[in-house]
Amino acid sequence: MIVLGIETSCDETAAAVVTGGRRVLADEILSQLEEHRPFGGIVPEVAARAHLENVDGILARAMDEAGLGFTDLDAVAATGGPGLIGGILVGMMTAKAIAAVSRVPLLAVNHLEGHALSARLVASVEFPYLLLLVSGGHCQLLVVEGVGRYRRLGTTMDDALGEAFDKAAKMMGLEYPGGPAVERAAANGDGGRFALPRPLKGRPGCHFSFSGLKTALRHTINGLPPGRLTGGDIADLAASFQTAAAETLVDRTANAIAEFRRLHPHLHAKGGATLVAAGGVAANRFIGGRLSDLAEKEGLALVTPPPHLCTDNGAMIAWAGIERLKLGPAGAMDGGLDFAPRPRWPLDPDAPPVMGAGVKA
Amino acid sequence: MRILALDTATRACSVALWQDGKIRRHRLRMMDRGHSEALMPMVVEIMGNVDFGDLDLLAVTTGPGAFTGLRIGLAAARGMALAAGVPCAGVTTLEAVAHAVPRSERTAPAVLVILESKRTDVFAQVFDPSLVPLTEPQAVAPEGVASLLPLPPPGGPSAIVVAGDAQARVLPVLAEAGFEPMSSSAPAVPDAAAVAAIAAARWRPDLALDDNFAPLAPLYLRPPDAKPAKNGGRLRP
Repeated sequence: MIVLGIETSCDETAAAVVTGGRRVLADEILSQLEEHRPFGGIVPEVAARAHLENVDGILARAMDEAGLGFTDLDAVAATGGPGLIGGILVGMMTAKAIAAVSRVPLLAVNHLEGHALSARLVASVEFPYLLLLVSGGHCQLLVVEGVGRYRRLGTTMDDALGEAFDKAAKMMGLEYPGGPAVERAAANGDGGRFALPRPLKGRPGCHFSFSGLKTALRHTINGLPPGRLTGGDIADLAASFQTAAAETLVDRTANAIAEFRRLHPHLHAKGGATLVAAGGVAANRFIGGRLSDLAEKEGLALVTPPPHLCTDNGAMIAWAGIERLKLGPAGAMDGGLDFAPRPRWPLDPDAPPVMGAGVKA
Repeated sequence: MRILALDTATRACSVALWQDGKIRRHRLRMMDRGHSEALMPMVVEIMGNVDFGDLDLLAVTTGPGAFTGLRIGLAAARGMALAAGVPCAGVTTLEAVAHAVPRSERTAPAVLVILESKRTDVFAQVFDPSLVPLTEPQAVAPEGVASLLPLPPPGGPSAIVVAGDAQARVLPVLAEAGFEPMSSSAPAVPDAAAVAAIAAARWRPDLALDDNFAPLAPLYLRPPDAKPAKNGGRLRP
């Protein structure tokens, strides 16, 4: 089974060719960092234009790299949402065109399902597992019961964590994108110098909030002596912010582990429970270290896909398509040439709405 | 010669198959949204049992038009071109509308095509009676349209033929500038049938597509609505 995966829901144009035997035959990605840098963040229209300019070239490169022709494909999978509609439309129309010409099924993949299942592309992770999905657009804790079966335990009530990193980086004058910039700056900083809040820490539940942390960082910066921030100040601010964010994540994830344990007591009794961390923020090594400590303490195995599979990529989209195809009719998924892209597409449509949380996912 | 043409740039979604010197199959549906759902099923229906690999050429409108609509058509056309290994030609929406103006109506010195931009400006281009462009495609305020037109000879005829879905927005301005606009019976929006006919007339297998066609890239005529961040959003110098 060979599937082409296309991802265009945010600021990366990506295409990959993956087999049912977990072999990644090609994995091409083009970032739009330079296009968005002047704006200090992602501009949807700029993103949509860049996707159209590049998607067919990236696809051609992926097929070359895989050494395959389009008729060798068993299906074409593309992100159908959630995300920026302009980019999703470009990837989806390209995918529909290729599927129609090659006479193979078109699979519309939920971008979040791509992240949720990516760990199974690189490791033998059995269902169910606990998933912490942290990226620039999403921050959720879910129990992955199976392909297409997700139970959301918590989500953010305001910013996604990656978004908070980007905004914090901006305030400190660090470059875009903020996640890696804050991590680099924090490496030489004192995370205990500035007392920043750990939002919701110690409270029951698994939801997140990062707007208070962001505001506190703004006040802290405004309270420093006037003039340019010193390198030391920036390092300490970055480290303090990153430490506060990590402690909040760990606290919320610990609550989710308790909930996961309640839902699946037998799994824990035999020591087979797994925590998967996915999404761009999961590539942050400091946060990864804290999650690893937590998992060890709680007796869970922690699986974090390699960084190129944590950030947006085409391989996870192809893989999610493969997981669906492997289930046969039972895995029947959205798709078809008349599929309408979905800017909002929750993994768990039955999750109760959360005050302040976006409805996009 | 076999050509598959498509258009999703404005309020219509259309697909046409050109074969043996004429339009063999054609569908056009008016729609304000839903082009991304409608287009490929229409393509499959129009293609019937014709194999994509048996096409000589694909053709698509490149704009100006709705940004999302342009991307839907171009992404689909470029995807089909890549998968089928068939070249793809670009045709502008303004050309497509101009070419639908019947020869019998092109009695004035100029044909003016005005398409809706859903903003304060309109998309405009002027052609001579044999449809050779006299101006570039442009986004222009309705008040600025008269200045695109060739000056009427003193005391001579000041009639011009006007086509396109936003022509009503410029009629008062044209009248004020002393022109006598004559509304064409041509359809107000582009149609893949016209795109296919233009492509058939221009295509030379021995020439590069760039020599005869618009580049296969969107003709937005407007930069994205976004301003660079002030100081990059930083709190300190």
